[in-house]
Amino acid sequence: MDIFSGFNSSVLFLIKIAVWAFLTIYLIFAGVVVRQVKLMTETLEVGFEKGIRFIALFHLIVAFSVFALALIIL
Amino acid sequence: MPDIFNSNRPSINPSLKESKSETSPSTEARGTLNRRLRQKVSSLGSFIPEYKNSGNSETSLKAQDGLLLKFPKEQERHKLHGHNHSPLASYSFYPDHVNFINQDPEEKVILFLRKHPITNWRWMLISFLMIIAPSLLPFFSFFMSLPESFQLILIIVWYLLTTAFVLEEFLSWFFNVNIITDERIIEVDFHNLIYREMTDANIDQIQDVTVEIGGSLRTFLHFGNVVIQTAAEVPKITFEAVPQPDRVARVLRELRIEEEREKLEGRVR
Repeated sequence: MDIFSGFNSSVLFLIKIAVWAFLTIYLIFAGVVVRQVKLMTETLEVGFEKGIRFIALFHLIVAFSVFALALIIL
Repeated sequence: MPDIFNSNRPSINPSLKESKSETSPSTEARGTLNRRLRQKVSSLGSFIPEYKNSGNSETSLKAQDGLLLKFPKEQERHKLHGHNHSPLASYSFYPDHVNFINQDPEEKVILFLRKHPITNWRWMLISFLMIIAPSLLPFFSFFMSLPESFQLILIIVWYLLTTAFVLEEFLSWFFNVNIITDERIIEVDFHNLIYREMTDANIDQIQDVTVEIGGSLRTFLHFGNVVIQTAAEVPKITFEAVPQPDRVARVLRELRIEEEREKLEGRVR
């Protein structure tokens, strides 16, 4: 007998809330990364600041997109 | 038979002692060190023929082993051994575009150091395992029982975690640097994303430089620690796992000699 078959809605709801909570925290983390990269590049310039800032910003955009996707499809 | 228990025999020269470091002046030996440095400075011209005729501070000079005592012109900088244009370099001699906070306008960066890239192997291996981990999910019936939308989001969340891990480790390696300028040594430490520590000490405060290379990997790849004892508020600054630590110690020694020469000539900035 497959004990995992047919998840009831409450279990899925709990997973949904957990994922949303995690993605909210991750969004805040991505924002902190952008800010800290800005501070780091102001502390030290090695000629790669634009690349690093782009990566941090792109990471933030991706995190926001995943958050929006989770809100839509879950 | 020699009388080895004769208490009247002369004692061992107290200035001779075992040490791993290049110089470790005690109070009594400091006068000896100053005499030796003056002799070194006065004899420097014999190693550097061009120095005798140079009176222009802007003229670039070439010391033995390619180390420069004066900041080189741009064309000459690119020809130097150890000069590197890569922003990901761990060792760069007279780097092109390195500036840091609190840098003096006339201060020149001579050596830019990071940990050897091989020190990143652990988190790279973990990242690789994290990237391939979702391929094992079909073997877990718990996961396969979830709706497809949940499966997709959970996999994306896993890769977000992987990205966060990789990003933090890379930023930590990239921004934790050691800088040697013509005036001081600086250690920049970002312990995590929100805690920065910058330590600096003047070149003339350096008392002792120790090079530590231990282990087969470090010996094979020639990287190690450079431990610098200073008379500053922070007594010890360690350049951890830097490439070519012997050359780093040599640069520091050359700079200390240069500082002593400037003091003797009254050209302290």
